[in-house]
Formats: sequence, C-alpha cells, structure tokens
Amino acid sequence: MKPGRSGGGLLGLAAVSLLAGCGSNADSLHPQGPGAKDIASLWWWLLGGCSFGMAFVTALLVLAWFRRKSMGPGREPGERAGWIVILTLGVGVMIAGLVALFVVADVFTIRGTEAPAAAATSLTVRAVGHQWYWEFDYTGTTAVTADEIHIPVRTPVRVDVDTGDVIHSFWVPELNRKIDAIPGQRNAIELYADKPGVYRGECLQYCGLQHAHMDFLVFADPPAKFKAWLADQERPARAPASALARRGAQVFTQECQSCHTIRGTSAHGTVGPDLTHLATRTTLAGVTIPNSKTYLGSWIVGSQRIKPGNQMPDITLTNRKLRALLAYLDGLH
Amino acid sequence: MTTIELPTRQRVDRLERMWQPEPGVLGWLTTTDHKRIGLLYFWTTLVLFGLGGAEALTMRTQLASPNNNVVGPSTYDQLFTMHGVTMIFFFIIPMTTGAFGNYLIPLMIGARDMAFPRMNALSFWVFLASGLFLYIGFAAGSGPDGAWFGYVPLTTRAFDPGRGEDFYALAIIFNGISSSLASANFIVTMFKMRAPGMSFNRMPTFCYAFLAASFGLLFALPALSADCIYLWLDRNHGTHFFDVAKGGSTLLWQHLFWFFGHPEVYILIVPAFGIATAIIPAFTQRKIVAYPLIAIAELLVVFIGFGVWAHHMFTVGLPTITVVFFAAATAMVVIPSAIQVFSWCMSLITGMPRFKTPLLFIAGFIFMFVNGGLTGLMFVAIPFDQQVHNTYFVIAHFHYIIFGAAVFPIFGGMYYWFPKVTGKLYLERPGQISFWLIFVGTNLLFFPMYIVGLLGMPREIYTYAPSTGWSAYNLAETIGGYLTAFGILALLGNLVVSYRRGEPAGPDPWNGPTLEWATSSPPPEYNFAVIPTVTSAYANWDVADRERDARNLADGAMVLDQGHETAVSSVADGRFSEIVEMPHSSPWPPILAFCLAMVFTGLVIGKIGLAAIFALLCLVSLGGWHWKEPQEA
Amino acid sequence: MSELAVPRTTQARNARAVARAAAERIGFPAGWWGMLMLIASEGTLMGSFVATYWYLRLRAPHWPPAGIPDPKVVVPMAMAGVLLTTSVPMQLASLAVRAGRLTATRLWLLLAFVVQSGYLAYELADYMDELHRTAMTRDAYSSIYFLLLGADHAHVFIGLLLELWLLLKLVRGLTMYRLNATVAIAWYWHFVNLLTVIVIGTLTSVNVV
Repeated sequence: MKPGRSGGGLLGLAAVSLLAGCGSNADSLHPQGPGAKDIASLWWWLLGGCSFGMAFVTALLVLAWFRRKSMGPGREPGERAGWIVILTLGVGVMIAGLVALFVVADVFTIRGTEAPAAAATSLTVRAVGHQWYWEFDYTGTTAVTADEIHIPVRTPVRVDVDTGDVIHSFWVPELNRKIDAIPGQRNAIELYADKPGVYRGECLQYCGLQHAHMDFLVFADPPAKFKAWLADQERPARAPASALARRGAQVFTQECQSCHTIRGTSAHGTVGPDLTHLATRTTLAGVTIPNSKTYLGSWIVGSQRIKPGNQMPDITLTNRKLRALLAYLDGLH
Repeated sequence: MTTIELPTRQRVDRLERMWQPEPGVLGWLTTTDHKRIGLLYFWTTLVLFGLGGAEALTMRTQLASPNNNVVGPSTYDQLFTMHGVTMIFFFIIPMTTGAFGNYLIPLMIGARDMAFPRMNALSFWVFLASGLFLYIGFAAGSGPDGAWFGYVPLTTRAFDPGRGEDFYALAIIFNGISSSLASANFIVTMFKMRAPGMSFNRMPTFCYAFLAASFGLLFALPALSADCIYLWLDRNHGTHFFDVAKGGSTLLWQHLFWFFGHPEVYILIVPAFGIATAIIPAFTQRKIVAYPLIAIAELLVVFIGFGVWAHHMFTVGLPTITVVFFAAATAMVVIPSAIQVFSWCMSLITGMPRFKTPLLFIAGFIFMFVNGGLTGLMFVAIPFDQQVHNTYFVIAHFHYIIFGAAVFPIFGGMYYWFPKVTGKLYLERPGQISFWLIFVGTNLLFFPMYIVGLLGMPREIYTYAPSTGWSAYNLAETIGGYLTAFGILALLGNLVVSYRRGEPAGPDPWNGPTLEWATSSPPPEYNFAVIPTVTSAYANWDVADRERDARNLADGAMVLDQGHETAVSSVADGRFSEIVEMPHSSPWPPILAFCLAMVFTGLVIGKIGLAAIFALLCLVSLGGWHWKEPQEA
Repeated sequence: MSELAVPRTTQARNARAVARAAAERIGFPAGWWGMLMLIASEGTLMGSFVATYWYLRLRAPHWPPAGIPDPKVVVPMAMAGVLLTTSVPMQLASLAVRAGRLTATRLWLLLAFVVQSGYLAYELADYMDELHRTAMTRDAYSSIYFLLLGADHAHVFIGLLLELWLLLKLVRGLTMYRLNATVAIAWYWHFVNLLTVIVIGTLTSVNVV
C-alpha cells in the first residue's frame, strides 16, 4: 500500500520542518559519548593509513602507465625487485600494520565499548525491539515508554537489549556502537552522553517491512530534569480533564485498548506501544512523524498510508469521535 | 600400425568427424562440449545480470530522493533480496566458473574436454532450471523478501507466511547442486586432464585460481544447504531448529550461513584474480612476478577464508575472546591478497604494458579492489566494525570488492578472449570508452555510500527522511548507477558490433602465454589436433614445444584419433597415464535436470507426492545415463 | 612420451585386458577422484548436521529435553559395527576386480549387499517406530535427531542402489568403466560405514559424554 501521492508529500514536507531541529543526527563522526569518541579517533587513524595505502598503489599504477613504452621485451626483468617489494611491502609492512591495528583496536579500544558490568552503571533501561517500534522499560521502576528515552547526562546507563519478535539492532551512533536484539540472547550496551542534547537512535538489523521507520530518540537531561521526567513516567495515566476527553477515553476503550496499554486504566494491550504518557513524546511511529494533534489524527485514521504494512490498521472514526479521542490523548502527560 | 601412416590432412579430417556435434538445436541441447556449455552459461548469466541490474536501478531510483514512492516497502524488500541472490548465485559464480572456467580451463591445460563432460552439461541445465525456478516464483508474486542472508526468525513462517522464503531456501539448494557438481568437475579436470608434461608447477595461475574457488565451493556449499534444509523444514514441517522456545537457536542460522558466506565472497573474487593474472602477462609480455607466491596465495585466500566467518557477527553479542579470535584470523587473510596486489603492480611496472581495453579493466580492478580491501581491513578493528555494521559503509565496501574485483576482470576477460571465442577482433576505441564510463560510474555510485554510511544510513531501507542529510549523496549514487548501466550497455553493444564487423583475429592476436592461443579462433571441437607438449607454465611462448607439436602432427603422434579420445595424466607430475574414450553428446543431462526441477517444484507447492515421483524419475534418468558406457556409444 | 606406451583403457573388453590396463596406468583414474569429491561434499553436509547437534546440545540445559528417553546405546552401536564390517567384503571386491577375478568380485559384492540390506531394513523399521513414539516436530532435539539419523540412512540407501546397479552391470562382464565403478563404490561404502559410526556415536553419546 503506497501513501497517497499528494498526502504523503505534504506530510513529508511538513515533517521536515518540524523534525529539523529534533536531533536527526546519527552521525558517527560527530561523537558525543566516550564509546563513539574512541571509535571516531580509531576511524581517523584508519582513514589516514588506508588513504596512504590507496595513494601508494595508485602511484604504482600511474608509474606503470608512464613506463609503458620504456621497457623492451626481455626475459624476466625486475623479477628479483618484484620479490623484494612483495615480501617487504606485501608481507612485512602489512603484517606490522595489521598487528598494530589489531592491538590498538582489539586489545585496547574494545575495552571501552564492551557491554558494561552491572555494578558499573547507575541506571538500567530495558530496550525491547518490536516490529516496528522500540519499547523502553526502566528497570526497578514502573516507567514504560516507547520511541524515546531520557537518560541523565554524564551517567553510565546500561541498556539491556531484547526483542519481542525478530532480530533488531540497537544503535545510537553518536554515543556508542550497536548491539543486536536476538531471541534467546542477553545483550547489553552502555550509553553515556557527555553533554545534554538529543541523539538519534536507529534499528540496524533488517526486521521486515518498516525497518526504515524504527528510529528512536535519546534525550540526555541534567540529573534534576531527568528525575522529574522519570517520576512523571512512573505515575499512572492522568484522568481525563474535560467532558470531551472523557468521551475520548470511551472511544479509546472501544477502539484501542485491545492493542495498547494505558497504565491505571483497563487498557492492557501489548501489540502496540504503551501510551500512558503519550503527550510527553516529541515524535510518533518510530520518529516518523511529529507528535501533534494533526499528525496523530492522520496516524490514527490512516497509519497505513504513512507507514504501510505496520501492525496498526486504519481506524475508522467519525470526526466527533476522533476529536474526542485526540482530546483524551492530548491529556496523557 | 595404421596410426602412423595417414597423412596430416586426413588425420585432421578424421578428428573433425569423430568430434562432430549433433546439428541444430538438438546439438545444443545434448552437447557435452565444454566450449558450448561455456557459451550457454555466458548468455544465461548475462540475462540474469541484466535482471539483477534492473533490480538495482529500481532501488537506486527509489532512493534518489527522500520519502520517494517509486516502489513501496514490500516490493523494495523483494528487490534487494532478489538483487543479492541473483548477483551472487546467478551471475558472478556461473559467469566466472561456468562461462570462463568451462570454456578456458581445458584449453589452458591442453585437454580436449573436462573430466566429466556430461556432468558438465548437467551443471548448466541444473543452473538454468534453478534460475527459472527462482524467477518464476518472483514473477508469480512469491519473491523472497528476507534479504540474501535470510536471517531467522524474520524468514520463519511466523513472520514471513508467503511462499517467497520457500522459493529462497529451495532455489539455493537447487543452485548449490549445480555449483557442487561443477566444482568437482573442475578439480578432477585440473588434477587429471592436464597435457602430459604439465606438472603442477607448470599449470597456469588462472587454473590455480579456479582450483582454489572450486575447493572453496565444494566445502562451503554443504553448510548453506544444511541451513536451507533446516529453514524449509521449520517453515513447512513443524521442526524447531531455529525455535528458541523449543531448544532451537537463532544464531545457528547465522553461523552456518556465514561459514558458507565468507568463503563464498572469496570464491566470487578468486577466479577474477585468475583472469587478471592471465591478462597481465599477455599485455606486459613478461611472466607474472613471483608465480609460486601467486599460486600459493590464491589457495591460501580461500583456505584462511574458512576460518573468519564470525566477523559478520561482531554485533550479535559473542564473547569478547571469540570476536578477537575472528578479527585476528581476518587480519591474516589480508596477507595473501596483498601479495597478489604487489605482484600485479610489479608485473605492470617491470613489463612492457600496453593499456588496451583488457588491461585498462585490470588496472581499474586493482584500484577498486585495493579500495574495497582497505575498508575491509578497517573491519578488523572490532569497535569500528560495530559502528558501521549494517550501514551503507558495508555496502560500499563489498560493492567495491565485488564490482571492482570480480566484475571488472569479467569485463576485461570478455574483451581479452573475445577474439578467441569469435575469431574477430573487438573495436578498441569504443572498448576504452566503455571502460571509462563504467569506471567513473561505479566510483560515483559506490564512493558516496561510504560517507552516507558513516552518517548513519542503514541498509535495507526503502526510504529515508530529508532531515537525515543523506539526500545529496543518494542522488549522486543514483546518477552513478545510471552511468554504470550505460557503460555496460556500451560494452555489450561494442561486443555485438565487433562480432558483426570485427577484423579477423587469427589464432593469437595478443601473443598470449597460455595454450588457448596455440589453436585456432574459435577452437575446433577437439581443441588441439595434437595433444600439446608442455615444458613450462607459459606454454604458448615455448616456440620449440609448439614446433614439436607440428612435427608430431606430421608424424601422426599424439593425435589420439582412434575414437573420441583424450589424454589423462598423473596428478602431481603430469606423467602420461592413459588414453580414454570420452562421452559425446547425450540427452540425459537435460532430462535429469528437468526431473530435478520437478522435484523442487513439487516441494515448493507442497505436493510431496509429485516430488517423490520425480525423485524416482531422477534415479531412472541416472540409470539411462549410465546404461551405455563411453566405449559403447 | 609416446602414446604407444600408454594403455587405451576404455578399449579393454575382457577381464584380463582390463586388469592389465589398470595395472599399467599411473595413479587414480578420474572416476575415483570424482568419488572423492562426492565424499568430500557429502561428508561436509553430514558434518554440518553433526555440528548442529553439538551446537544445540551445548546450549541446552537438559539434553535430551525432559520427557524424551535417553537413546539406546548397545544395539545401535552393535548395528553400526555390523555395517562397518561390510567394508571388508567391499575392499576385497575392490582388490579382486583389479586382479581381474570377476566371480570373486561378484560374490564379495553380493555378500556385502545382503548384510547391508539387512542392516537398513532393521534400521528403517526402528526409525519408523521411534518416529511414531516421538514426533520430529516435538522440539529441536527430535528435529536434529531424526534429520541426522535419517540422512545417514539415506546415504546407506544410495549405497545399496549403487551396489545393485554394479552387480547388474557385472553380470555382463568386466570393462574399465565397471572396474573404476567397483573401486569407487567401495570407497563410498567405507565413507558411509565410517559416517554411520560417527553419527550413531554422536546420537548415543548422551549416556557416555
């Protein structure tokens, strides 16, 4: 199912302007954490060394071009020189270079990017990949959210990575390397942000139709702000504040609770993400569209046009019911 | 004895009659001639290359701009799956081994055919059938969409309920049969059918490359077949090989797949190395530098390549000691590759290089291979690998290798051996233009992928948002893709026009070093009127030996015309061992391939009874095949 | 190097000529190398199955899983031993054919064929019985158990077909083709017999290792 041409285009255009300031960077060469920084340094050294090698071989080819008329046919001219070059450069220098690379990267740098020991971190978040969104549970609390997490800045955070269905891969390029979410496997990674900011995360293992739209956001907050956010996430859902919102809660019960959870209500569905504090999130559907009433409305009635093949069907609602539902969801701070 | 008394012309006529093929289409269907089989492979793989290329261009068109809707995710997922499977199993392997290997190896070793001519034909018909099998499934809407590496659980029935992955699993097993048979054939041919006097240290480096690739295929393919058997059983018969809840393992798929998959990628490029080491001596008029090192390096690349598979799994959470071991093993495999690169470069520098089109492609190949090889070397740094794994950086790396190190030599080889196969010279100027179009096109296509991968662009995504900053790079890549396609069309067009209007080539337009240049262009069915005398690895440059052949023909020695005969030698030293009668044309290979195709068809549509009946018919066909022995034919 | 000094092996038409030509040639003929290639390929396939068994077993907390009885040891190993002994008549057939002794060749092949058929008949009955009691679809253990064992039986079956074909061909006399086939099929059986010992050993090792 393709998104309707003009509708998709308009949505896309609007999404650009709204998302542009939203930490859309997933640039591994713009590292913001120690893991990513170590790897970026490694990269620059590798680039330097390999560029030198590339230039050297290109020079050899160019040299052959220039000598093309100067040699006459002979027996085996330069056979001895050839052996010497092969053994010194092709074997000797290569071995030395590889050993150096191996020691630096696979003995030293690797220590900083391995899965963290449990005792070394102050916070554990469990990231569960689903087709096609990320669920986040804050271990030791009742906080469950989706699509974005908050972590305290300059604090080692352990992420236990798991899957609810197929293999996914958890990657925040500006903070650290990736780790796969594999059925039957316990994997973990450390997130440590040097500065407050928003960092983009992606799913990096092909996991089906909407692998392309399974991003997430990592907000690194000053500790006080983080504590406030976490405390808020732990609370059950706020009761609907207006009559419209109350009607919306009823619509939710009819149409949505079979798939979604809102803690503190009768909704305990587990197919789609937890929506208890939906209104605190900046984006929807795996950072595909911004979280605004318009976008949320379009999503509810026509998610198949925005993210074709995703697990949520298009929900048919009258305009009245939709307004009510949006009013309810807008109150889920 | 009558063998000595017939004059030369009559002896040649007698050979011509002995080796006469059946006429017309029936002749092609029942052929066991390695040259005809090579040509059948060539045309078939070109068609499949076109299909794989169309898949690629469609994807590139979709990705040229963000949030595009040329194709939706379901189609896109089938496209990248089909593209990968087609290019690897249905283009590179059959083009190098099936087309180049089949046509050239018996000629290069001074033989009249492969060791098992009918099995050679069977390899082709099974290959054709497996390609039809996969593409009919695709055309019927059941294209696989689990990517070429088909990871479970995504490809299990729970998450992929259609028939696509059944086509995938069975097509791969089916195609693997063709490659396994071909590998066995190449190994035995190179062991036993070398001209007397061609000991191992006189075998051309081209042959060493194909020997290495054949051993690789023989030992790697069964692991993939086992994996696909498990997948098919889990999907269709309720087994639990990959079902974690019932004691199965998700990573089992990956270990077996990459145990095959890594040697496979060396198998893709090693024959192309062989093409390069055949072209360089011809266009530098000197022997390749350090022949013994090259021969050993070609074997070592494949051998060491069996020990590195888990470097495709650095992000799955293996213990650190394990990943470090595999990184160390991967580092080792760089050495034989480096040896070859420097040998090629030094041969070019110390020889008299004529940069005609074939050598241009080899120079381009060296450039592209070193580029891709160096980024491959970067993956030895495990943390770096764990950053760029599954991004476009990896796509750039392996396309520089596969396109640069496998496809460039294939194109160079097409030009190099064009005179031998057709008897005509290709047009040089258009040839050089086609090279530059392809060279510029592929660099524009693949280089930006390195950058966009470092900027976080994942593989296997059907679209991306404009806010990512990836748009300009993707547009450049798409332009490069179209330019490359145009260059390839120019190349093929040049070959077609050259076939019509090229100058006659004669037997040896390049003063080539190996024996295929010692016979006419194209070669007669029996390849050589006299089994060649061989005393070095550059047999066509040994003038004394070629003169000896002419005298043998006049004397009636080593003509082997008492039947459909060829010479067999001992393995290491190439001592003349026996003269055997070879099978000629036979209908059984296509018949058996058809029965086998029906077995797989029965399995994929769930009609096990049909499959069983045709399995029985396969056994009957094998009986028919072996009913008449070669001397009775 | 003269073609007169080298045998035209496919032209030998009687047992004595065939044996003489076989003695004169140097090294193994292409057909035997072809069989070695088949053994390498099939050996690797079976090796993949065996490796899968160990991979799954070493990751499992209980093996066999609860509810599945431990596999019997004595009878299966004894049967594998019986099959292994048929390598003797197969090898004797291989030696006899190279000496041109056609009757001896036929008798040794027939003896081997009878014992091997008996082995397979017993094993297939046992296999079907076990399948009845524990479905292959029960869990990963059953899946790999029945696949590995079934694949071994399939290789024995193919060996029987090869042998039957050979016996029928040898009724009509000896040619170089049939001599090559006899030796190649003997090698195939050595491979299958050794494979069976490894497979049975693996599947029954739960009680020992």
